[in-house]
Order: sequence, then structure tokens, then C-alpha cells
Amino acid sequence: MPNQNGALYGLTILSPIIDDAKATPSHDLQIRSYLAKLSTREESPFALAPGTHLARLVVMDDVIYVGMPACEEHLKSKYLVFESNCDGDLDTYLTGLAASIPEHLDAIWKHCVGYPGAANRKAFVEYMKACQLETTFYFAAVNDRSVPETLRALQTQSAVADFVATHQGVDPVTLQRDFIQFAAKLQSQPTPPPGSMGPYREIKTGGHNE
Amino acid sequence: MSNINGKVYALNVITPMKPWKTWILRTAFFVLDHFKPLQQDLINLSFIEFARWVIIPRNEFPYLGGSQSKEALKYDYLLFFSNFNGTWNQYIDAFSAVLSHGLNLIWHWSEKFPGSVPVTLFKEYIARVQFDTDYYYTAYPHATANDLKSAHIVQASFNSLSLVAGRSNPQQFADAYLRFVLAVQAHLGETGEAPVVG
Repeated sequence: MPNQNGALYGLTILSPIIDDAKATPSHDLQIRSYLAKLSTREESPFALAPGTHLARLVVMDDVIYVGMPACEEHLKSKYLVFESNCDGDLDTYLTGLAASIPEHLDAIWKHCVGYPGAANRKAFVEYMKACQLETTFYFAAVNDRSVPETLRALQTQSAVADFVATHQGVDPVTLQRDFIQFAAKLQSQPTPPPGSMGPYREIKTGGHNE
Repeated sequence: MSNINGKVYALNVITPMKPWKTWILRTAFFVLDHFKPLQQDLINLSFIEFARWVIIPRNEFPYLGGSQSKEALKYDYLLFFSNFNGTWNQYIDAFSAVLSHGLNLIWHWSEKFPGSVPVTLFKEYIARVQFDTDYYYTAYPHATANDLKSAHIVQASFNSLSLVAGRSNPQQFADAYLRFVLAVQAHLGETGEAPVVG
């Protein structure tokens, strides 16, 4: 199944944005304005909802004209692109989004044609599936680990590096005692929240080929 | 607009294709998907966390009725979404140098594709057909694709050592610990904030 790579799911959604000449600002600008203020760290909606490794939201204004001799053509709608790399099966993921972050979903997708709201979970899942595109080819560098497993592994990697650095040349008795304490402490620690440990960045970057 | 989050860059590309060529591309992707050795160069590049290609037939843009007008397009479109580590220039350079045949096989069917070599024309084409990301989230912004692979190797070795730690005498544990360090030492690189791209 092209949408799946191992245990990961590649979700691609194109939701048509409402085209209303009377709306000020236009619906696509309202989406962009909302997204520009969203946190990308542990307060991110995708960090609060389960199962998202990486995700992006993009307002696609139009298709791109590549020049003669190609034909110039244009879309009749702008589309909100939602690209997500997530754990598990699609229904569980979408239901998890609707249950965890309904206010964010509504704030973003209320500008899209036919959006039923996240409160009606069944209608929400059906809407998202109606806007879904099948992935033709999907690649994942690590395709058999969930988000919590990955965050736990990164935490372990960092802690082990420190342990190894501070236990060079230590006698076997001390080494064993310290390792058992270290392993117990590490396993009792909570998994770092998704989106944490990244740099705080004030938006934004300049040209797209930085 | 933010194409970068931590150590990951979000690339979005859309290119037009004549509909009859779409089937050739679908066949190419089918072969790539079912013969894993053909993906080895993509795996070896090692700085791509996730990537996908999506073909949208000209009459299959989502249509929900209501106030939406149905699209009337001549071309099918190929969407490409990549999540990679490093800068745009590094990525395109590496793509061109390592995967030139694969890229040509994929984008040859798109209008005006100049080929992935020489790289200058290829970069001009990608820059033309790229559109920017409005919101980009990653659960682990401080980690690269290689960090992820290494972390899982460390975790598996650590779990194995933890199992024997309480059941062995100190000398046996010291020997097992030494083997553990030898196994993971190449995978303990520091993660952290990405270098500033200037």
C-alpha cells in the first residue's frame, strides 16, 4: 500500500479553500495568519495530539507555469496541503487529532469547503478521507519506530554518551553499581515531550533556497 | 512562511506532466517500490527523514461540491514533499550527484525538466517549481536522520546490557560493558541546535 512504509503512514490531504470575494481578509490569508502564530515546539497542536513525526501545512495558491512550450493553466481553488508522517493506521490518527486538538483543527479548516468540524468525529474522518490523495511512492528513513520510541531512544542516546564519558577507567564494581543506578533512573524518567529540545526560532526565513 | 524547523527542511515541489506520461512514471514508482535494492542510493544519502511523490491526475483534485468549482486542467501534476537535513543547496547538490539517474527517471516526464545534470539548470528548475511551507512541525527538531538511526541502535544495545547488568559479576559486566561501548561508540554523536544557515 503506497501510503504506508513499515509502521508509518504518509498522509497527504488537499482541502479546497473557500473562495469568497466578500471575505476580508480572504480565507487563505486567514489560514496563513493563524499558522504564522502557531508554536512549533511542545505546545504545537501536533505535539499535543498523538502520533505525528513530522507534518506541514501549506497554502497552495496555484499550480506553477514552467514556461513555453508548456501550456499555462491555473487552479480554480486554492488548496490547504496537509502532509503528515504519522504512526499507525489512518482512522486512529485522524480520530486522535479530532479528540486532542479540535479547536486548532476548526480554526484552520473552517476556511475550507465542506469542513464539518472536529466535534463530529465520524464526519471529520470522512471529510479528511474525501480530501486525501494516495501517495504514489513513500520513503521513510526509519519506518519501524513510533514517536514515543524515537524520543525515548534520543533521550537514551544522550544520557549514555554522558555516562560513557564520565566512566572511563572506572573499576568493575563501581561501573556495575553506577550502571544499574543509571539504567533505573533513566527508565523512570518520562519521555521528553514531542517537539521539545528544539531551538526557539522567531519566524521566519527569507528566500526559499536558503 | 517557514521551510526550516531545527535540523529539518521542508521542500514542496509541483510539476506538470502530460497525462499519457503519468503511466510511465507510475510504472517506474511501482518498480522502485517493489525492488528494494533500487532504493539503496536514497537510503545511502542518509539525510532524508521522509520523502514522498504524489501523482494527481488532472481530474482528481479533491472536489467537495458546494461553492467549489471543479478543476479543468490539461496536465496531471507530480507533487514532491521532502523532509531533509542540511541546506537547500547541499540537498540539491547531493541529489544531483548521487541520484541523477533516478531523478531523471522520475522528473523526465515533467514539462521542461532540464535533467538533473548539470546541477545549475536543475537548481533553477527546482527553484521555479518549489512553493513555500506555511507551518512545519517535527517531533524531534534537534535530530537528523542519522541521529535517529543511531539512537535506535544505542537503545537496543542499552536494553540488552541492562538485562545482564544485574545478573553478572563485576568482571563479567565490565566485559559486557566494553563490548557495549565498542558497539555504540560511533552512534553517540551530540544532537542539539542546528548551525545557523546564512
